[in-house]
Amino acid sequence: MGQRGDHPFVIPEKKMSRSKSDDNSVLLVHAHLDGELDPANALSIAQQMRQEPALAAEAERVKELQKLIHERLPREAAPPGLRARIESSVSGTRRGPGNPSWRTLAASVALAAVIASGSTWFVVDFRHQPAQVAELLVSSHIRSLMAPQPVDVLSSDRHTVKPWFNGRISKSPRVIDLTKDDFRLIGGRVDVVGSVPVSTLVYRRTKHLISLTAVPAEDAPAFSGPQNIDGYNIVRWTENGVSYWAISDVEPKDLELFAQLFRTSQNEL
Amino acid sequence: MSITPLRPRIAPNSPDGPPVRLVTPGVQESIGMLDDSARFRALVLPYIDEAYRLARWLTANGTDAEDVVQDASLRAFRGIRNYAGGNPRAWLLSIVRNTAYSWLRKNRPAAIVSVDDLEAVELERATFDESRDDTPEASLIARVDAERLRKAIADLPAPFRETLVLRDIEGLDYREIAEATEVPIGTVMSRLARARRRLTETLMTTRQ
Repeated sequence: MGQRGDHPFVIPEKKMSRSKSDDNSVLLVHAHLDGELDPANALSIAQQMRQEPALAAEAERVKELQKLIHERLPREAAPPGLRARIESSVSGTRRGPGNPSWRTLAASVALAAVIASGSTWFVVDFRHQPAQVAELLVSSHIRSLMAPQPVDVLSSDRHTVKPWFNGRISKSPRVIDLTKDDFRLIGGRVDVVGSVPVSTLVYRRTKHLISLTAVPAEDAPAFSGPQNIDGYNIVRWTENGVSYWAISDVEPKDLELFAQLFRTSQNEL
Repeated sequence: MSITPLRPRIAPNSPDGPPVRLVTPGVQESIGMLDDSARFRALVLPYIDEAYRLARWLTANGTDAEDVVQDASLRAFRGIRNYAGGNPRAWLLSIVRNTAYSWLRKNRPAAIVSVDDLEAVELERATFDESRDDTPEASLIARVDAERLRKAIADLPAPFRETLVLRDIEGLDYREIAEATEVPIGTVMSRLARARRRLTETLMTTRQ
């Protein structure tokens, strides 16, 4: 009975193979794919994945699974009557005093916008007000420069940046690798334009950052040359129903080069 | 588990994040100015879809999910004065989750503590010791149809199911999931990894 594989001096095979990819690494692979790791750890797990086939295979399986879920299980809305029933059951429970003052009303509208968007409370129809969108995006850009880091997902790997947007915005943006042209991708973040969350990619050119925001828009003009707001240059173009806004303090000609490269590059994910 | 490599959180509404995105000064003041039902409209109503989907995954039934969400919304409304700020979506989802589990305990006591769940908790402490190089190619699951996928997720033990649903379907980040499911982030991570493994294995092995 005691003469089995669990003899104290026999190391079970399983244990031996475990050192290859220990539990922690497996969890880190998942966290990496979910865009949850800080830059240093992201880098080190990416390296580990290149060296250890088991980890790379794990990553492949996770990506495949996420893709499958994303494609096969569209998120359904709550049944039509539910929201109304909830509202009426709540208002029947306890009623606020009389008519709300305009101040309360305004605050509630503003707050709803803030909460719904997770961010700004400008309510702008951005398709018709490019100037306001430009100002919003310039402020986002400036705020990002003042923040500890200008991006929410920090990675030079477009395969990491793109999936990070899944679930955060409805449509993953085009992510293009322009490293060889000296525009280095450093990451991405979600900005908000008129209560619509939009994707922003951040590229670095020497010491300057370029924010590239993709805004869904049908009727924006095709391309407009550099503009300038508060010292920041803006280049805008539209393709496939998406309006792109590049904002930076690099030279206008560099920004135009960037736009040109981004539009023509084949290095897409 | 000693994992602290997660990126610093700079989500717009997190209290310790930088005030990068909040153009509005005084959001907190505005909350104070609102009466309960205005707060409810601002904090709860935007997330009814998410609430419904989570309830549906937990109860496995659309009608029950509606009841749960309605009940949870009432609880949220009663608790709205105590809502301390932070992430309203995670807050609401944690209420939905608790409501769903009480509902299950009451109406389907058999479902709530299944052997599978106990085994799940057990397994959670176990290690990933089967680093199986012999696993089939990941691409094999690409052809799985929606029904089989749905069933495979529905068959996951509840702790795994809710974690996977919140991450891979609803797109919450780890911190929000930790908040919604009331466990530490380390637990979120191990449940998620385990849930995905189980799911992948099921999808690769069960053929119709």
